[in-house]
Amino acid sequence: MKSKKIFALVMACVLGVSAFAGCSKKDDNGESKATEAATDGGSEVVDGSTEAVDTTSVDASEIKDWTFYACMSGKEINDGNEIQEEIAKLTGVRVKETWMAGQEPAEAIGAMIVTNDLPDFIDGGDASDQLVEAGVLVPWDDYIEKYPNLKEMYTDKEWELFRKDDGHIYWANVFGNTYGESQARGHNDEAFWIQNRVLAWDNYPVIETLDEYFDLLKRYAEANPTNADGVSVIPYTALCEGWRYFCVENAPQFLDGYPNDGSVIVNLDGEKPTIVDYNTTPTAKMYFKKLNEVYNAGLMDQEFATMSYDDYIAKLATGAVLGMCDQWWDFAYTVNDKFKASGYDELGYNYVPLGLVAEKGIKNHWHTYGDTLNSASGICVTTKCDDPDKAFEFLSRCLDQEILDLRFWGIKDVDYLVDDNGMYYRTQEMRDKWADENYQANHICSYSYFPQYNGTSKTSANAMKPEDQESEFFDGLAKPLQDCFRAYDYDSYDDFLKSEHDEMGFWYPMYSYSNLMSTMTEGGAAWTEMGECKHEWLPKVITAKDFDSAWADYMKAYEACNPQAFLDEMQEELDRRVELANS
Amino acid sequence: MSSNEKDASEIKLKSKISKTELKRQKVLLIIAALYVIYGIVFYYLPLAGWVMAFENFSIGKGIFKSEKAGLRWFKYLFKKNSSFPRVIRNTLAMGSLNLISQTVTAIGFAILLNEVRNTFGKKLVQTISYLPHFLSWIVVTSIVREAFATNGMVNELLVNLHILKTPISYFMHTQYFWPIVAISNVWKETGWNAIIYLATITAIDPALYEAAAIDGAGRWQKIKNITLPGLRSTIIILLIMNIGNVINAGFEIQYLLGTGVLSPVSTTIDIYVLNHGMKNFSLGTAAGIFKTFVSMIFVFTFNFIARKTGEDHLF
Repeated sequence: MKSKKIFALVMACVLGVSAFAGCSKKDDNGESKATEAATDGGSEVVDGSTEAVDTTSVDASEIKDWTFYACMSGKEINDGNEIQEEIAKLTGVRVKETWMAGQEPAEAIGAMIVTNDLPDFIDGGDASDQLVEAGVLVPWDDYIEKYPNLKEMYTDKEWELFRKDDGHIYWANVFGNTYGESQARGHNDEAFWIQNRVLAWDNYPVIETLDEYFDLLKRYAEANPTNADGVSVIPYTALCEGWRYFCVENAPQFLDGYPNDGSVIVNLDGEKPTIVDYNTTPTAKMYFKKLNEVYNAGLMDQEFATMSYDDYIAKLATGAVLGMCDQWWDFAYTVNDKFKASGYDELGYNYVPLGLVAEKGIKNHWHTYGDTLNSASGICVTTKCDDPDKAFEFLSRCLDQEILDLRFWGIKDVDYLVDDNGMYYRTQEMRDKWADENYQANHICSYSYFPQYNGTSKTSANAMKPEDQESEFFDGLAKPLQDCFRAYDYDSYDDFLKSEHDEMGFWYPMYSYSNLMSTMTEGGAAWTEMGECKHEWLPKVITAKDFDSAWADYMKAYEACNPQAFLDEMQEELDRRVELANS
Repeated sequence: MSSNEKDASEIKLKSKISKTELKRQKVLLIIAALYVIYGIVFYYLPLAGWVMAFENFSIGKGIFKSEKAGLRWFKYLFKKNSSFPRVIRNTLAMGSLNLISQTVTAIGFAILLNEVRNTFGKKLVQTISYLPHFLSWIVVTSIVREAFATNGMVNELLVNLHILKTPISYFMHTQYFWPIVAISNVWKETGWNAIIYLATITAIDPALYEAAAIDGAGRWQKIKNITLPGLRSTIIILLIMNIGNVINAGFEIQYLLGTGVLSPVSTTIDIYVLNHGMKNFSLGTAAGIFKTFVSMIFVFTFNFIARKTGEDHLF
């Protein structure tokens, strides 16, 4: 009896305390709101002088603490991050970035809208249109005129692509935008990747077709079944999880020589550009047949169909996987740093891209030169933001060279040095530090989803980003990679792909439309079902004992999804874009 | 109570509700009213949102201004070649498998545990067995993935016991998925579900067991003739309550374990709604309404059967 009483007393205390905790939290919020409101007035002063405030630093009490959410996975940085503080001092804005984890964009955005729990800045990814529909975004229109830095990002015609049906522009994509002369040395897009040690082992051969690629992987794996640390090599793997199944799904468009329109091929041969489905082409059949053959020969990862993205990255990081088809950004950030940390880069594990085609002689577009404008998503300011003008000013300030240098190069004399000609460079120690996870969390703040440029610095001959700087690029490569570049006589990654150098059409890329589709339209419903069908069937087709019958079954299931409805809607959008370009 | 008496008591009750009586029960009525208001606000008012299922809902326009769509989204669910019927099958199959396996194992476990004489051992087993209930599915699914991997525990065991020649890739073949889900559920929930049965067993009059022992009944006979009949009403009530949940076969485990290859058997209604309905609230709501009706049919049918067969029933 006594113990019961004591228990009840304890519970009562707990309840009481938790109730008070609730109260005090509310108080906190109220207070911080009040201080925010108080700083509101103060910040107005800074507003007017956009360009002039470059060197004046902002009083700590005036710094706005805003939030940003990206429908993308990413690494969170620590509070008090040094460069973040530096940028806050210069711009008066500190942005806490949060990244999506274990969700799809539509889920994350849907939940935010319903609960009205929005950040101040947001990149809605594929679900961006939902934000527009919900009316929670602040239009860019007036601010584009007000802030020259922002206006400069795109030409008037390009800005038109961002305009929504209601006549407003709600976001600007921050990627693939080149300032001045292009310095690009990387290949940030899709390719068949191969570890450079494999190329070295075969004396740097020229690999152009799928057959040659898999033949090389096979011969290498037979000669070197295990790595130095005893791990068995996996000649080839393909990620099939969720939206990342493009790793297995969309190679046929490239193999036929087309650029990454993502969901369709745009054929220019006829009178006007037409939409072609790459899922049913002879090349698609040939490609999956090849994968089937490779799988049944035991050369392909036997678990490829069931692994998660985390499994996949972990597998790549062991250095066991010799080759795969993927987007550079999907694996390289994590895997390259891991290779560096474990010294695998010195063993030649780093991946280089190959621009494979279905048959020799096809001209490929794995790498697209010129900028790719994806109008489907970008950085938005939400109505939750208490001072939109200041927010746009911050976006504009992000494009000041001083801030760009801080974001991508770091702090002078700490992260990079400047030689007599004004060129930036790093010592090996600085490079290693820059790749270190702890250092990244405590020191580096690239605001990677905020406005930025590739290409050349606005104020000097340096590249905007270190990885594009000629000296940095080559010195930053591990020894085996340098050997590989020398052996082929290449000086940038895109040289490996031997892609055509032509400009993309104004419609490019078409995925910026298909990514926004939903089951609200017939074409969108077909698109959803085609996706489900491919998720189910592609691994089945690859692992089938009898490829031809599996392929026939797959095609039957695929046709049942009514792909024509989808293709028709894509054609409509293509016509619209072509018209817009001609207007 | 004979039927005459019952009628009489009802009449008596009715006649008692007078103004003075209402006054006397004022406080009680106010307290009850609070619950009714709570129910209306949180259970019935949100049902107005069902309107979304009959329009092309857009967040911007809101419930009242979105254009009407009639039965479009219900037709969408059952159109030709729709995967929705397959999704219902998966949901019901996994729901029933879970319900049956969980009920059987929980009862079996409770009885076995009840037979343990050593109090310390009993408490220890009970505590350990219900701990997995508190793990999240994220943790449980990674354990399951590891256990059933090609080089995992299950394969190793079966190969070493010479039941299998080569390891099986369980997540590549659709036929293993439902059993894996059922096994994971049993592993996670058995101990927890057994608690209520254990409590019921404790409430059975010990005199019955003593009498049976004097009559020469063994343990098995005592279980068959005393424990199980004693559990019967609890089992029926729990079944009625859980049968409405058959259609909630789960989301997390299927979502986390499912892959493209497994999608024909792993997609439950919840996952379908997520895939097709996230940018389209109308479709999601339509599927939700459908789900509600199926649950209600289940509960009413089972309750009806229980009443007809003279068992305990809910209403």
